[in-house]
Amino acid sequence: MTDDRNDHEPPLGPFPTHRPESPFPPLGETLPPGVTMGGPVDPPSDWMETANAHDLPTRENALVALGRYAFPPAPPLDDEGVAARDQRWTSRTIVVTTVFLLIFNAVSPLNWSRQQPPGWVPETVQALSQVWSDQLAVFGVDKPRQGVREAWKSAQAARFVGQEPTLTGADAAP
Amino acid sequence: MLFPTLAFGVFFLFVYFTAWSLDRENGRRKVFLLLASWFFYAQWDWRFVGLLILSAVLNWAIAALIARRPETKRVWLVGLGVAANLLILGFFKYYGFFIEQAGDLLARFGWERDLPLLQVVLPVGISFFTFQGISYVVDVHRGKTPPAKSLLDVMLLMSFFPHLVAGPIVRASDLLPQFDRSPRLSREMATHGMLLIVWGLFKKTVIASELSVHLVDPVFFDPSAHSAIDVAAAIYGYAIQIYCDFSAYSDMAIGIAALLGYSFPRNFDQPYRASSMQQFWRRWHISLSSWLRDYLYVPLGGGRKGLVSSCVNVFITMVLGGLWHGAAWTFLAWGALHGGAQVVERVGRSIFGGRQVIPTFLGVLITFHIVCLGWVLFRAESFELAMAMLEGLGRMGPVEVLTPLLLTLIVGGLAMHWLPPRAVEGLAERLKTAPSITLGVLIGIAILLVEAVRPDGVAPFIYFQF
Repeated sequence: MTDDRNDHEPPLGPFPTHRPESPFPPLGETLPPGVTMGGPVDPPSDWMETANAHDLPTRENALVALGRYAFPPAPPLDDEGVAARDQRWTSRTIVVTTVFLLIFNAVSPLNWSRQQPPGWVPETVQALSQVWSDQLAVFGVDKPRQGVREAWKSAQAARFVGQEPTLTGADAAP
Repeated sequence: MLFPTLAFGVFFLFVYFTAWSLDRENGRRKVFLLLASWFFYAQWDWRFVGLLILSAVLNWAIAALIARRPETKRVWLVGLGVAANLLILGFFKYYGFFIEQAGDLLARFGWERDLPLLQVVLPVGISFFTFQGISYVVDVHRGKTPPAKSLLDVMLLMSFFPHLVAGPIVRASDLLPQFDRSPRLSREMATHGMLLIVWGLFKKTVIASELSVHLVDPVFFDPSAHSAIDVAAAIYGYAIQIYCDFSAYSDMAIGIAALLGYSFPRNFDQPYRASSMQQFWRRWHISLSSWLRDYLYVPLGGGRKGLVSSCVNVFITMVLGGLWHGAAWTFLAWGALHGGAQVVERVGRSIFGGRQVIPTFLGVLITFHIVCLGWVLFRAESFELAMAMLEGLGRMGPVEVLTPLLLTLIVGGLAMHWLPPRAVEGLAERLKTAPSITLGVLIGIAILLVEAVRPDGVAPFIYFQF
């Protein structure tokens, strides 16, 4: 399209209507022997089967190199080191279990203190554990324990078909 | 202070962290563990801590003397050591029983006398630590173990709190070498220990407590008031209860010792899957049965002098084993039943040779029922009560005490004998690679489940009375 009034050629369509010839052979057809696609042939590969990309030299960050010099890596652990590491792992496990039970089984110290003879230790434990368990109950962390306990109580109360719902052995025991 | 209580939990946490903070000072660590063990024992009766010390000093001194003398000149010292231990055990455990029996016997012949009856308080665990003392003296004499390097080691050997009150009977050859150096804790050992503690907690506080309170105690209290099904359930229930009670204590003891870096021998190995009485005693209270074998059956002559001698020896061993459990005729009868059954087995084996006459499943069934019959004698306070229980097996009537839950616990208690033999070890092997947070939460969940269903209080372990 031009501004020349004498230009009578039809206007070009919005999309090309003529597709240039492809330099590639049609799909599914192989090139005849000796015919190349044009351009130089690839030289024979120099790939080494045993090569590892991680073996290539890399430029180390200067700060990392300095860090390694300033803080050299620890030597591999000996038996004593392994034992110390395992002991720390065990201690962490015990601490995690203790904290877990302090949260989800908070009522246990309260129950224990109620079963003890009167004294300042049980009374102190009772007062502290009462506050602790009440506060945690607000968040509902006592629900799992209560749910299991109620399920157990209903299992205890279950009777065989036709069996009298009599006193349990514990009630009948002296 | 019982293992499955909050008080023990607090005590153990203190001991655990303090002991490992002293791991570079083995001597101080042992002193601390000894003091902790005495504190633990004093919770029952502080006066008997002195007895514990006296017993340890006695055994240490005699073993030291034995080690310094030539073999030909120390037999009397061994005899002295064994006699001293038996004297302590005999006074506290059997004095009242024998005086009472002697009085009855004299009265029968018309020679009534006022014998010096004393109400002797039985120190907890005396049967265990005196047997441990005897094995130490005899092992030093036999050269199976060298004498301890210090009195501290012998004191800790006999007083170490995980095994102090109800075993297992840990021998000097097992524990003394472990006291020589600071212990090491591996992940496998720790995971195994923690799993054993949880498993023991479940067996004791859920299965044994539930069966005891709701089934066994009421029926054994008055067998005449219950029908055959309730009585049978109570007998089976007691078989499960005593297994879950005693094996739970052993599991927890082994687990607690493992967390402190010490290794105890296994004490139970699925005993109710035994297909003979001999096999049963290789699976039940292994530390006691091997003790009886090494220090009683073998010195009596064992099986070296033919069938008759072997039968007599095994019978005597089992009767004395029964007496070890308690000063009562019912315990003697229990031992005699086990001894008699083993005599029958030996005679059978000598007649039929190596051929298997009874199929294994039938052997398991017969063995289990002989053991259950023995438990009736073991649990009943008198022969009359034991007979009343057996009579109750023929009484028709409604089922009153047995409930679906109790039946499930009995079946479950039996079924656990057919789990893979090393299930806990296998699970520990898998869990040892878990991060500490994951394992800590998993163990916390397991303990929370047990805590949710257990009764508020917990009864003492059955074997505390022995």
